[in-house]
Amino acid sequence: MNHMDSGAAPAYRPVLAANGIRKSFGALEVLSDVSLSAGEHQVISMIGASGSGKSTFLRCINLLEVPDAGSITFEGETLELRRRGDQPATLNSRQVARIRARMGMVFQSFNLWAHLTVLENVTIAPIKVLGVPKAAAVARAEELLAKVGMYDKRNSYPAHISGGQQQRCAIARALAMEPKLLLFDEPTSALDPELVGEVLRVMQLLAEEGRTMIVVTHEMGFARQVSNEVLFLHQGRIEERGPPEQVFGAPRSERCRQFLARVL
Amino acid sequence: MDILQGWGEAIARGAAVTVAVALMALALGLVWGVLGALARLSSSRILRRLGTIYTTVIRGTPELLIILIVYFGGTVALTALARKIVPDAGYVEVPSIAAGVFALSLIFGGYAAETIRGAFQAIPRGQIEAAEAFGLTGWVGFVHIRFPLMWRYALPALGNNWISLVKDTSLISVVGLEELMRVSAMATSVTREPFIFYLVAALVYLALTFVNTTLLGWMEARSQRGERRG
Repeated sequence: MNHMDSGAAPAYRPVLAANGIRKSFGALEVLSDVSLSAGEHQVISMIGASGSGKSTFLRCINLLEVPDAGSITFEGETLELRRRGDQPATLNSRQVARIRARMGMVFQSFNLWAHLTVLENVTIAPIKVLGVPKAAAVARAEELLAKVGMYDKRNSYPAHISGGQQQRCAIARALAMEPKLLLFDEPTSALDPELVGEVLRVMQLLAEEGRTMIVVTHEMGFARQVSNEVLFLHQGRIEERGPPEQVFGAPRSERCRQFLARVL
Repeated sequence: MDILQGWGEAIARGAAVTVAVALMALALGLVWGVLGALARLSSSRILRRLGTIYTTVIRGTPELLIILIVYFGGTVALTALARKIVPDAGYVEVPSIAAGVFALSLIFGGYAAETIRGAFQAIPRGQIEAAEAFGLTGWVGFVHIRFPLMWRYALPALGNNWISLVKDTSLISVVGLEELMRVSAMATSVTREPFIFYLVAALVYLALTFVNTTLLGWMEARSQRGERRG
């Protein structure tokens, strides 16, 4: 990968460090003490059964869920979790906005805004949130849509294109924010099998560009070929972590072995 | 026109007043409706309670009574106010058009608040989450994401409310506003031809409704751009 060109430089500059993240919904503890650190250009895949907490963890990182405990540092800025007695933790909303503006999120169900065209979906946040001039935002969006193979559909509405096309637009929408970190929450799980490949190819392209990515996925082939690190979650804990060759080839955890035996 | 015995122009003017009153009540009523809906969806218990009281009172009271209460209540209040300033002031009447527009806007807003509340709740959760994740929150998110998404769910029902509103303007005739209904009643008492003049009034209301439904059909098609058809 191209980031190796710099020779003696340290392998990865840290982008995100999440430490000891806990999250409960009522009495159910979904995450108990999950930590992860992502360096620049790293692709981290999170795998595990449904309900293992991997999506919740991703949602905690970009603060769609507020962690009960733990710390998150993104691009050197540590998130303030405000705690008052037994009350749930709250966040500084300006800080949240600042952090989110530099994280791109891709959802399982695409979540393109239904009243906007593909192009408008991609340009609205850069224009309204980042203050990019309209012409520049449109030019950049067209570039990104061309990259994900959706330039021809730029004036379509989300409901008139396929799921795979919607997801590729959603990826372009995330890229338009020029994010330092891309989060993918099961990006292919809502797709018909024949549409999965086109989305994975775009994601692979992004990994090859050296984008920093955290991917929650059920696509074991993708996790194995594209990621630098694989995390296996089970009941809100990381059971196994390591380079893909190790996690897939010689897992130390019995649960991870059983999980892989079921899905591979 | 012979059949109208010289009342044609008065009826046309009355119809124009009807349209003007309805449009003003619509504009003001949409404001009450959005505020009422936001109050009902608010995280503040007091606001939620106030929103519920508003929609319950409006929907639970006959339109005619609301118009009378606003008109006479407004007159009592204005008179009291005037007497505070000039102790021997006489009756200060609220202009019937102001009272009518205000009362109708309250009525429209009471129904619209429920429609708009439901429409806000009908927005798929994921679309709101995406807005949050991209920093489209607060006022910017409301204007560019939540409001336009709400609008497409609310429009069909609001259209219905609007069509009722146009006909409800006839109730303002009781407080003396010379709109279509009152002009027709006056023509009736002068010419002693109730059937002809009430029939003409009915046709004018029907024509207005026809124009409105056509317009609404067009607007719905426009707002539903990007929705799956068929």
